[in-house]
Amino acid sequence: MDFQWSAVVDALPALFRGAQLTVFITVAGLVGGVIIGTVAGLMRAYGNAIVNGIAYFYIELIRGTPIVVQVMFIYFALPTLADIRIDPLSAAIIAITVNAGAYIAEIVRGAFISVHKGLKEAGLALGLPMWKVLVYVIGPVAFRRLIPPLGNQFIVSLKDTSLFIVIGVGELTRQGQEIMAANFRAVEVWSAVAIFYLILTGTLTLILRIIEKRMRIL
Amino acid sequence: MSIVEFANVTKRFGSLVVLDQIDLNIESGEVVVVIGPSGSGKSTLLRCINVLEEIDGGDLVVDGISVRSGSKNVRLIRQEAGMVFQQFNLFPQMTALDNVAFGPQHVRGLSRTEARDAARDLLAKVGLAERTHHYPSELSGGQQQRVAIARALAVKPKLVLFDEPTSALDPELRHEVLRVMQVLAEEGMTMIVVTHEMSFARRVGSRLIFMEDGKIAMDGTPAELLDRAENPRLREFLQHVQ
Repeated sequence: MDFQWSAVVDALPALFRGAQLTVFITVAGLVGGVIIGTVAGLMRAYGNAIVNGIAYFYIELIRGTPIVVQVMFIYFALPTLADIRIDPLSAAIIAITVNAGAYIAEIVRGAFISVHKGLKEAGLALGLPMWKVLVYVIGPVAFRRLIPPLGNQFIVSLKDTSLFIVIGVGELTRQGQEIMAANFRAVEVWSAVAIFYLILTGTLTLILRIIEKRMRIL
Repeated sequence: MSIVEFANVTKRFGSLVVLDQIDLNIESGEVVVVIGPSGSGKSTLLRCINVLEEIDGGDLVVDGISVRSGSKNVRLIRQEAGMVFQQFNLFPQMTALDNVAFGPQHVRGLSRTEARDAARDLLAKVGLAERTHHYPSELSGGQQQRVAIARALAVKPKLVLFDEPTSALDPELRHEVLRVMQVLAEEGMTMIVVTHEMSFARRVGSRLIFMEDGKIAMDGTPAELLDRAENPRLREFLQHVQ
């Protein structure tokens, strides 16, 4: 077959718009996911039985169900259940937030409990309250250990946005599919889409590597 | 009033009784050296004083405050009872200076500048004026432990607990830590030291306690215990550590 470059060029503007939306969903979703994940992870690591149980239930519920089912539930089932209307974009962001939050919670928990318990004791022995020990002593050490697995999750979440094709969000994959449906140039379109994703994940990897390098790794 | 008062204190780990109905009073200015075979409860005795372990029975009063009177009071006890750990436990993300300045800033409410000035003086006192901007990973074990002593002192505690402070150090690095501790003792600091350093016990200690099976088996001056060593278990123990 001959590779039709013009099909790629024609697709570029739409793919750019899709990529922008993909980035927007990913960033907004991950900001939420990091917040929820940190809270849930600390609840798991340091909470009493009830607090721990709540976080555990959330994590198992989310990790045990596919993200496509989660976003379908948010978009189609929630309006029926609770009379909440959600536009597709919000549903997508909420899905990434809730989904990434569960995985990030386990990453956060793992990083915090991996910090040598002597550091906690040294902090407490100075007379600090536990929250200050977490923020100033354990947190900074845990944060450095968080970055590699967190980077993994960021990349997974970025690619998971492609699944929101099912609720009609015009992200990158959806744009590719629409162009394909019009011109049937499968090789050209999906190659271009794949390269877009590679550029996005590659940029993410680069940013994470810079952050990691700028910190003293402990 | 004694600064530390154990009244019938019991501590268990599961079914294991680690401290068995301990009665012990320690006065301000004493340098108490605690010795005994491993598993005899020495470290636990120390860790109950600053409530890193919670007691299961009896009462323990430190500087007039019971260890069982709530988390706010526990923090007050910890501010008055500094601790030096076997593994140093310095904060790895902070320089020596920040390790020492951290406590005063966050516990005593000093400004950053005040805390750092005081920290610089303390580091000079333990012989590390040239190492203030080094991270713990860039310091030798003996240097790390001296930073840890400065960190404990920075909060201006009324007593300092030493939990085998030289056990993780190479023999040639121990003396630099012991020397700092001796100076501290000579300045009148109240100290409780769990250690196997018998020459330190004899030279610096004002009181020696030999623990065995969660009980205080012997309690007296270092000279009394070490020279006469009538207790056969103490004699056996001393043969092993010397």
